[in-house]
Parts: sequence; structure tokens; C-alpha cells
Amino acid sequence: MTSVNLAGCAEHPVLGESPYRVDRDGVSYVPVGDGGIILGLELGDSVFKLAADHAAPGACLVHPDAAARHALAAFACIGNRVVVRTGPAAGAVGSVVGKRGEAGRVIAGFRQADLALLRPSDEVLVRACGQGWRPEGLTTDVTVLNLDPAILAVLPVDLAADGRRVTASVRAVLPGRLAGNGIGRPAASWDLDLQLTAGDLATDVLLGDLIAVTDIDARYNMGYRRDWLTVGVVVHGASPVPGHGPGITPILTGPSAALQPLPDAAGHTGLTAAAVQLQ
Amino acid sequence: MKLTANQAQLPRQVLAGEIWPALADRHVYRVDPDGRPFVLPGMGAVTLGVHCGDPATGHAADHLEPGASVRHRDAAANFALQYLTCVGNEVRVTSGPAAGAVGHVIGQHAYVLADFPEAALQLMAPGDTVTVVAVGQGLALADHRDIVVKNCDPGLLDRMPGGTDSAGRLKVHVAARVPAEAIGAGAGMISEYANTDLMGAYQGLGDDLSLGLESLRIGDVVCLEDTDHRFGRGYRAGFLTIGVISTGQCMLFGHGPGPSSLMSGPAEAFSIVLDPAANLASWLHPWPQEAADDQR
Repeated sequence: MTSVNLAGCAEHPVLGESPYRVDRDGVSYVPVGDGGIILGLELGDSVFKLAADHAAPGACLVHPDAAARHALAAFACIGNRVVVRTGPAAGAVGSVVGKRGEAGRVIAGFRQADLALLRPSDEVLVRACGQGWRPEGLTTDVTVLNLDPAILAVLPVDLAADGRRVTASVRAVLPGRLAGNGIGRPAASWDLDLQLTAGDLATDVLLGDLIAVTDIDARYNMGYRRDWLTVGVVVHGASPVPGHGPGITPILTGPSAALQPLPDAAGHTGLTAAAVQLQ
Repeated sequence: MKLTANQAQLPRQVLAGEIWPALADRHVYRVDPDGRPFVLPGMGAVTLGVHCGDPATGHAADHLEPGASVRHRDAAANFALQYLTCVGNEVRVTSGPAAGAVGHVIGQHAYVLADFPEAALQLMAPGDTVTVVAVGQGLALADHRDIVVKNCDPGLLDRMPGGTDSAGRLKVHVAARVPAEAIGAGAGMISEYANTDLMGAYQGLGDDLSLGLESLRIGDVVCLEDTDHRFGRGYRAGFLTIGVISTGQCMLFGHGPGPSSLMSGPAEAFSIVLDPAANLASWLHPWPQEAADDQR
């Protein structure tokens, strides 16, 4: 596997000349929490905890050059180490916990005490490793993506459950028609928003949960393919924007005959702060 | 359909644009559903030989944009052009050998898409300027308050069959019903800009990719199920969106022929009639006869 040291910096949120966006009921709102550094939101919190728009657990990392920013988003993988290099938080170590699409954002989790010292434009190093990885013993039908090779062992994924199928414990299995923004976009750098609002499911959805989506193929661009399954990690919170919602970074995709979700609404544990050594 | 609406209150605004080049980057290839690279024309410039009423799919193309693809050179003016232009608006060529040719807007796709008679399109090239008389945003139906209308020239609405039925619902003729599973790229975007790609219409690829949408035609009026485009574009059970297919064949995965949104509201506010003739060609582009009439 190839590891690459990438440079990024903590994002400052950006808005257009109007502070308002329009929610799914046609009501204007100010999109608080969309990018930048969010305090007090961690893996394990509900995606509906904050009255926010796409709030992510930690700091969003970007790069001032658009092409370098795309590379940062494409190469960074969940579980990659992040080290702050400048500012009062210099030396703090965090972990990639997800990514977001469009212009490209890497979501980095830090201990809250470190995060409180972080300031937009502080520089970070991301030790990118994982794209192109094929775990030994993985059936050829299933693709792993966006994962640091070291992180798979702490996720509830069994690569050869019964000698051939991959299984993954998930909070819920959702139909592909709930997949919104992210469809038609590259799975190596975009997340896939799930069009969920509070109360839509019988269960809560937590940041870090694994969620399965049926009939979605995420090997390249994400799109509809019957009898296919994609499993992702929930990386950011809900959104009032129609077509948006809590987002997953895809980590497993394959035919449903080869990749089986094990839904566990009450007992599921996905990506945790402990798993990425943030506790 | 004859409806009580606020047509008299709608301003008509003269907008400018130019036919925009096809764009590419140095990496050339894009990726199809099976991971294969492709290089195919379709977006930008002037795409010949495909008009309203013609099959949307089956072309060796990606994001096929029939006719002329129009933008404004200034970024903010371009957003105004893209947001304010409505399906059915008149487009007149104002420079180049086709100057004077008149066509109509058939949709938006981050370009304003304008269909013209083939003879006029043969003469057009990127850089030629056009004038769009924009009218339609703000259109509101007095007897159908739950339905939000957008991107729709009031003249187009007049020519479409249907109207208020005996139960007070808005009867709309559509060529196809589209399941929510087909909604691809464009979900989550605002509904006054670009269109919604429909998956499940990849001619010649695997059955597991099909949602039975391979027979769509350019200009077809379609009904998107469980889709709310009143304030953007999202999934909402029990809502319908009416759109017009303005782009065709895609090979890029998660993309496909796309409807520009015309109206959206709760399903019970509509009465949907399946009608194979529900196509812009039936009301807006009866070429070549109309063009011949224009020249007399």
C-alpha cells in the first residue's frame, strides 16, 4: 500500500451574499454548522442532535487549491491519522472519520480539548492510505473503499462470514430511493446523503453507524443497480435541504448475494471514538 | 390547459446568452456503470439531429443536449439566465449565419437548452449570441394552490392538454411515470437550475441497470413519483413532480435522460393521464411546418 503525506487546513465555513437557504417545506433558514470546526459533536451522537445543516463531528479539512483539495478528499480514508502542524493545537493527533463531496472536504475527529484550540486555516497533515486496498481473502465481487487498512479490524465487518459472503452489522437497511445528493458522483470522494428526517425510522441514527443502502453500486460513481448493496459510515448530521440528509462515506459495495447487512437497530456499534483512538 | 393564473402579472424580461462550447479536461475519460472509460459528445455547443419527439436514449452520447446549449459569459448573469429562463420561452439567434432563427427553450441543464429547426442548427456555432425572452417564474395557479409551478412559460401551459377535473384536481398528460428509484444526479439541487438525471435508462447495458425507462423521448412530459421539487429536489412520499425530458443518453453512472421540473405538489392534487403524445413536439415544435410558416 502507498502512504502519502497530504497537507490540508481547517476550513472556515463559507456563505453566499444571502445567509438563507430554503428547507424542504419552503422555509428560509441560516445554515449553521455546514463545514468548518464543530465543537461538542462526536461519533456516537445522534445525526439529529444539533439544529444544524450537515454538521460533522470535528473539523472539516480543505486545501486552498481546488485540485489539491479534490486530491485530499479522494485519497484520505477513514482511520487515517491527522496531525495538526500549526497554531495552539499543533501536535494534536486526530483521525479521518469521513469525507464530503462537491468541492471536497475531509472530516477529521479530534479530542474535544484539542478541537477547542483549533482555528480555521490551521495546517494539518493527513497520512493518506487506503484507496486501492483489497484485503486478503475478500471475495472478488465485493469492493472495499475509503478505509485505512488498519481500521477494518475494529469495524463490525466479517470478510468471510461463511467462507464466501461479507457481512456487516448495520443500524438499518435503507431502500435506494432514499439516496439523495451524491448519486451520480464518485464514491471515492463524495458522501451519499440519506433523505432522512427525525422520526422517519423507528431507530435513531448515530454518527459513526454503519448503514446499508439497497440497489446502489458505489464502485465508481454511485448509482442504481438492482440486487446490489452499499454499506457506509454515517459521517455527518441531518440537513434541512431537500435531497440532503445524514451522509454516509461508502466503505463496502457488492452484489447483495456477496455482501449481506446484519441490521441491529438496538445493539449496533459502528465507528467509535475509541476505534479511531480519540478517547 | 386553460387555467386561472397570474399570467398578466408575469414580467417578460429580455436576456442575453451565447452558444457555449463543449468542454473537456486533459484526462479525457469518464466512467460508465461498469467502470469502463468513455469519450462521448453531447454536452455543450450545438448538437445536431436530435429534437423533441426523438428517442432520448440509444445515441452514442453522454448527457446529450439537443440543439443549442446556451450560457452567459458573466457568472452572476449566467445564474440569472439559468434561473429565469423557462421551458417554452422563445429564443432568437442574434449573430452568425443563423441570425433571425427562432427556437424554444426545452429545459435547463446548467445550460439553457434551445431546440431549433435542424436547418437553422446546421448554421449555428459556439459564440453565436441569442436573445431569450424569459417569462414564467412566479406563475401561480389560482385553483391549485398546493401545486408549485416553475420553469414553465405560461404559453406552454396553455398548449398542454388537461386542466382542472371535476374533482378539482389538475389533470396532466404524461408520457411516462418514473419511480423514485430512478432519481439520479441532481437530487439535492435547486429545481430552477439544471435537471434531474434519471437512472435505469442505459440502452445496451445490463438488465440489472434497467428501470424500464429506455423508451423516453426528448420533450416527453413525465411524472416523477414520491418526489418534491417545490423548494429544491428531494424524495417525499406522496408527492409528484411533473417535468419535461430535456437531455438524453448518458453513459456516466448515476446519470441519464433528465427532466426539467415544471410543477410539483401532493399526489392528490393531480390527476395523471398516461398519453404517449405528451411531448413538447405536440405543442411547441411541429417542425418543419412551423418554420416554413414563419418564413412566409
